[in-house]
Amino acid sequence: MKKRVDILTRVEGEGKIIINEKDGKIESVVLNIFEPPRFIEGILVGRKYDVIPDITARICGICPVAYQMSGVQAIESAFGIDVSREVEKLRKLYYYGEWIQSHSIHVFFLHLPDFYGKSSIFEIAKERAEILKDALRIKSVGGKIVEIIGGRVVHPVSVKAGGFTRYPEKEELKSLIPLIEESIELAKKYTEEFSKLNFPEDNIIGNLQFVSLYGDDEYAILNGRIVSDRGLDIDKDEFKEVFKEFQVGSSTAKKCRIYGKNVYIVGAMSRFNNNYEKLSDEALRLSKKINLSPPVKNSFKSILVRMVEIVHSMEKAIEIIKTYEKPEVETEFKTKRSEGTGVSEAPRGVLWHKYSFDEYGIILSADIVPPTSQNQDIMEINTYNFIKFMTEKEKILTFAERVVRNYDPCISCATHLISLD
Amino acid sequence: MINIGVFKFASCDGCQLSFFEIVEEILKIGDINISFFLEAQSKNRFDEFDISFVEGSISTPEDIELIKKIREKSKKVVTIGACATSGGIQSIRNYLNYKEILEYVYPSPEYINSLEKSHPSSDFIEVDYELRGCPINKKHLLEVINSFLLNKTPNLPRYPVCLECKIKGNPCVLVLGKPCLGSITVAGCGSICPSYNRGCYGCFGPIEKPNIEHLQEIFKEKGFKGDMFEDILTSFNAYNRTYREQYEKES
Ligand code: SF4
Ligand code: SF4
Ligand code: SF4
Repeated sequence: MKKRVDILTRVEGEGKIIINEKDGKIESVVLNIFEPPRFIEGILVGRKYDVIPDITARICGICPVAYQMSGVQAIESAFGIDVSREVEKLRKLYYYGEWIQSHSIHVFFLHLPDFYGKSSIFEIAKERAEILKDALRIKSVGGKIVEIIGGRVVHPVSVKAGGFTRYPEKEELKSLIPLIEESIELAKKYTEEFSKLNFPEDNIIGNLQFVSLYGDDEYAILNGRIVSDRGLDIDKDEFKEVFKEFQVGSSTAKKCRIYGKNVYIVGAMSRFNNNYEKLSDEALRLSKKINLSPPVKNSFKSILVRMVEIVHSMEKAIEIIKTYEKPEVETEFKTKRSEGTGVSEAPRGVLWHKYSFDEYGIILSADIVPPTSQNQDIMEINTYNFIKFMTEKEKILTFAERVVRNYDPCISCATHLISLD
Repeated sequence: MINIGVFKFASCDGCQLSFFEIVEEILKIGDINISFFLEAQSKNRFDEFDISFVEGSISTPEDIELIKKIREKSKKVVTIGACATSGGIQSIRNYLNYKEILEYVYPSPEYINSLEKSHPSSDFIEVDYELRGCPINKKHLLEVINSFLLNKTPNLPRYPVCLECKIKGNPCVLVLGKPCLGSITVAGCGSICPSYNRGCYGCFGPIEKPNIEHLQEIFKEKGFKGDMFEDILTSFNAYNRTYREQYEKES
């Protein structure tokens, strides 16, 4: 038995791919995503409900808004807090900001160098300086939206149960429209360009299920039912009954499958495959133009899906800003002994939280299931299938890393798979 | 040409992301070579560094070895953020029963490779500059790089957040009845929380000699519930030296 270990680069967090070989044949691929644990769930227990948005945000610097949104909805559903339509709209805008920010980091900084055979975007920029400049411009749209609503891009401060601690003035938001409009054009241009990149043949296994949120009238982001392309359709409270974790062999890693059996995938490709017809006008036109339609099963093409989602988010953002009215009323509520779940579409897919509280709102238990730990199984399977017949060492390592990167794994998040009851 | 390394220990990656925010400025300065930065590039070299930026808290025996190696190879070591500077949110466990938490969180704790405590880098090596914040302010990152090039000491705030409130003309949320740690927290964020109608929760960590007792009295007078010291420990710089000493004194 021979082991090849490759340290992952250009991913969020730190991890390794371990490729086990026997008699010159690749036997298995293991994704080791074990960063030193930070015990976040353990820290939550015994504290008051209102620390949830601040503390869970710290699980991931690239998608803090997602943690805040799933977390705050769990609190709201536990205490029976109704959130006004205006607040909900502002939360969506806030969340689109994060999708734009996080997707542009992944697409340009982490993923794109693979297609150019370069080490980093800085190397690409040596030949084409404008790509870096435009990437930063596109990213800044997301950053500015989050900053206006939350005070800063990483670990914004304004989220609370019922709404926000501060609501932006309409004018603040409106001032962003010209930048967003201009960036939509830029993003469209790059999507078309990237659609001509060289995509290796890849077909994610046949019986895989694409799992995402689903809303009746929109490409779900903030909430919705949990569905799959094979007819699964459940409420957020039923999550743990369907998505079962199990221990793999002798390792500590836990995997998650539908009823403990069916492999599934969450993230941009699942959203796209399940919600395609609900994309914004521009995003839909763009997908058609580049011949991107569901089911997308080539993981390398996730870069295009993320670009389409950037355009979608920008168009939606303008729509919300144009009809935004500053919420005026404070939501009143009382804590009670209860439990609640919250789910939303983090940039990397379904992010589920569950808490139980005592009558004073003290957290009794915390359970967080991030997208990357759900994708660990399919990442390993996809990587194994892709490299299993390769023989050249360099090629094996390069492509193993590339396939994993297609999933935009966030290892800082995945370290927190462990649940607490 | 200066050589920069960016390293990560237990963290959320939020502080490293600041490098993506200052790319344009770095390119303008020129003469900067980032030779180690796993999140940004696939080719990395570990040899000699002019400045090493360190994110994350030291949490495993291997981390201790690595941080020492980084020190050996670097002219300046700069911690970025509350995790590397003060142990981070994960250092709350330092005041709790580690074994209990470990067994509570992990079904098979024997596999967990973790130190009992979450440590700032400075527990093991000499650190040249410490950037505060959870996350850091990107301006401070640029200040450190520029100062290195100009061979001067970086100018980082030492005064409390309150001063930033005064400069911005924020109404004081403490006076308006919300618990605020701004008077004992070092500035640098631009008093974000008070500008967003909430009290500072201390993510930049303590000023040099924080008057905790005084603030505690104000909190009592105002009728805020909860133990002041607990409140500070609840925050993101739990294992900062200042708080650590205070805690040890009290208990
Ligand atoms: S200090 Fe805060 S933002 Fe920086 S790495 Fe640690 S948790 Fe993330
Ligand atoms: S709001 Fe907080 S930080 Fe600002 S002046 Fe008052 S006490 Fe100081
Ligand atoms: S006001 Fe306090 S808690 Fe808020 S960002 Fe600034 S230092 Fe951090």
